Amino acid sequence: MDGEGADGRREEAGGYRRLNRKCMRSMYIGYGIAYAVLVVMFLSIMSFAGDALGPARNAAWMLGAIILILLLAYVAVAPRIYYSRYRYMITDDKVDVRYGIVVLRHILVPIERVHQVEVSRGPINNMLGLGRVNITTAGGVATISYLEIDEAEKVADRLNRLVGTLLRDRV
Amino acid sequence: MNLSGEALRCHPSIILENSIQILVPIVVILFVARRFDISVIAALISAALVLAVLFNYRQWKMTVIRFGETDVVIERSTLFKLKKTLPYSKIAAVNVNRGIVNRLFGTSRLMININSGHNAMAPEAALTFKRDMADRIRTELSQRLYQHELPVEESGETLVSFSPADVVLHSLFAVPTLQNLLGALFLVNSVYELYLSVATDAAAGGSALISLGMFFLVQVVPSVMQLFRYYNFKVYRKGDVIYLQHGLVRTYRTSFPISKVNAVRVKSTLASRLLHRSCIEAEVVGIATNDGNGNTRPVICLLKDDATIQRLLGELVPEFVYERWPSKQPSGARSVLRVRTIIASLALVAVMAYPSLIIYGDEAPRAGMMALSPFVLPALTALAVLAFVGAARASYRIRELDIGEELFTFVNGILDRETVIMSYDKVQMVWVVRGPIARRFDVASATVYMLSSTGTKNVSSGLFPESELKRIGDIVMERIASGKYDPRRSGA
Repeated sequence: MDGEGADGRREEAGGYRRLNRKCMRSMYIGYGIAYAVLVVMFLSIMSFAGDALGPARNAAWMLGAIILILLLAYVAVAPRIYYSRYRYMITDDKVDVRYGIVVLRHILVPIERVHQVEVSRGPINNMLGLGRVNITTAGGVATISYLEIDEAEKVADRLNRLVGTLLRDRV
Repeated sequence: MNLSGEALRCHPSIILENSIQILVPIVVILFVARRFDISVIAALISAALVLAVLFNYRQWKMTVIRFGETDVVIERSTLFKLKKTLPYSKIAAVNVNRGIVNRLFGTSRLMININSGHNAMAPEAALTFKRDMADRIRTELSQRLYQHELPVEESGETLVSFSPADVVLHSLFAVPTLQNLLGALFLVNSVYELYLSVATDAAAGGSALISLGMFFLVQVVPSVMQLFRYYNFKVYRKGDVIYLQHGLVRTYRTSFPISKVNAVRVKSTLASRLLHRSCIEAEVVGIATNDGNGNTRPVICLLKDDATIQRLLGELVPEFVYERWPSKQPSGARSVLRVRTIIASLALVAVMAYPSLIIYGDEAPRAGMMALSPFVLPALTALAVLAFVGAARASYRIRELDIGEELFTFVNGILDRETVIMSYDKVQMVWVVRGPIARRFDVASATVYMLSSTGTKNVSSGLFPESELKRIGDIVMERIASGKYDPRRSGA
């Protein structure tokens, strides 16, 4: 059975946890900035270099406009889908993350393989009190994104504790 | 000799070796620039040589190496100070190779690689010593690393003999198929350009020479590099250590414990398959090679017939041999590949339609071969669509998955095929990925992340039922929970 806490984060049956709704706000801001930069770049290129395209100029305008409209639709719906699909679970032996907008990914990282845990925050996430936990293994990095900073610190502490216990047991 | 912590210096020949390395690009730049006459160039080169020798002499003089009880420390006290400590417990391999300068001075280059993904393409330390001294240091270090001594002159019997013809075949046909096709394309173009210049009685155009140069760069140089590198190839195993020896001008002696091997790849290019041959590479942590073909994994067997390859797998890396019951991709995968092919083809046709129409509508007079130009783009587009269809059919037919108890295998590759046999105990992460089309047909693909010879490496599967792919992660977890995974034994 699902339950929603006062912080907007929900825990689901099976031990999976969901993100705080603030993750959508962070994504909207990030996507919005990227989209604005893209629009400005497109308009600048077409204004300054559009004539060089000759007869293909109109086709380029049309193609650019279609791509921008499709991207706008993506920007509008993607954060909601991302939020609704994101699940993560940390047990004593593994980190399990499920997420995806178009392509769905299910990541499994055994705690045994974790080398390093890091909490990072970009400027937008910092403003919203969110952070991400980067879990480094010898084979690459898995990330749990858009966690509230307290939760991110707790996750990192827990992972570090689990890795430490594992190493002590090994000695 | 004991590794007793006494301060050592490299052999002074590295002053010359390093000075030449600095000097060569300077000489090339001076000649290419053609800004000065020959006497000025000679003076500049002499000055550069003197400066390079002085610089390298000081580097040599101020650099000391200490092989201590627990680590090797390299200390340089020049303007750019350095103190590098390599703990023996982190060293993955200690290897020796000898180039022309080494042979002239009777020295060897000792290469120390550590278990690091960072900076994996270059050894953490490359130290030049007198040959006998380098061999003794290597022996003592190997004793610490592998718990048994290496003979100073390794003289193991190779498990398979490789004739010069085998080396030549490997050099020619182990080159990736696309690279071969590109090389052939450049060669054909240069021949065609030369033919045109002869037929029209004009001087050979620059484009023929450029094409010929590209052919040499893409096709001939990599093959010659492989020929030089793998000449006199020997491979054998003593206890848990695999030994490789090869090289014509520069000789390579490489050894690594089996526990450092994360995966074994049996590879065949299109041309080598026609000859019923394949080769074996090992994904060894801490050892990256560069054979000039973009391949960074140590080759442990050159192209050989399939029966020999199977025998060698059993004798050299039995830890990576198991009875396989491979699964083919389900019919859902065929549907996914079909839909992807249709989408890719439609996208290509849509993109090519506009330029094709423009060229077709251009009413400028065309003569000879140029009369065919309106049909070139549509013909190329049709060929590309056919290639998409062929690739999808081959991809469905070829890709396999095999989930065993200790090992699992992915078979991939349309032109150049590879069978990757991996150990669950070396898997760092598993991603199961389902795109929108794959979800519709109930299949997924898995990407397995491992530590490789050049940092991290991922290997992706074909399209299989999600439940089957999730078993890989489940088995990894089961092995850890049940204690079957032993981090010491697996070299973690």
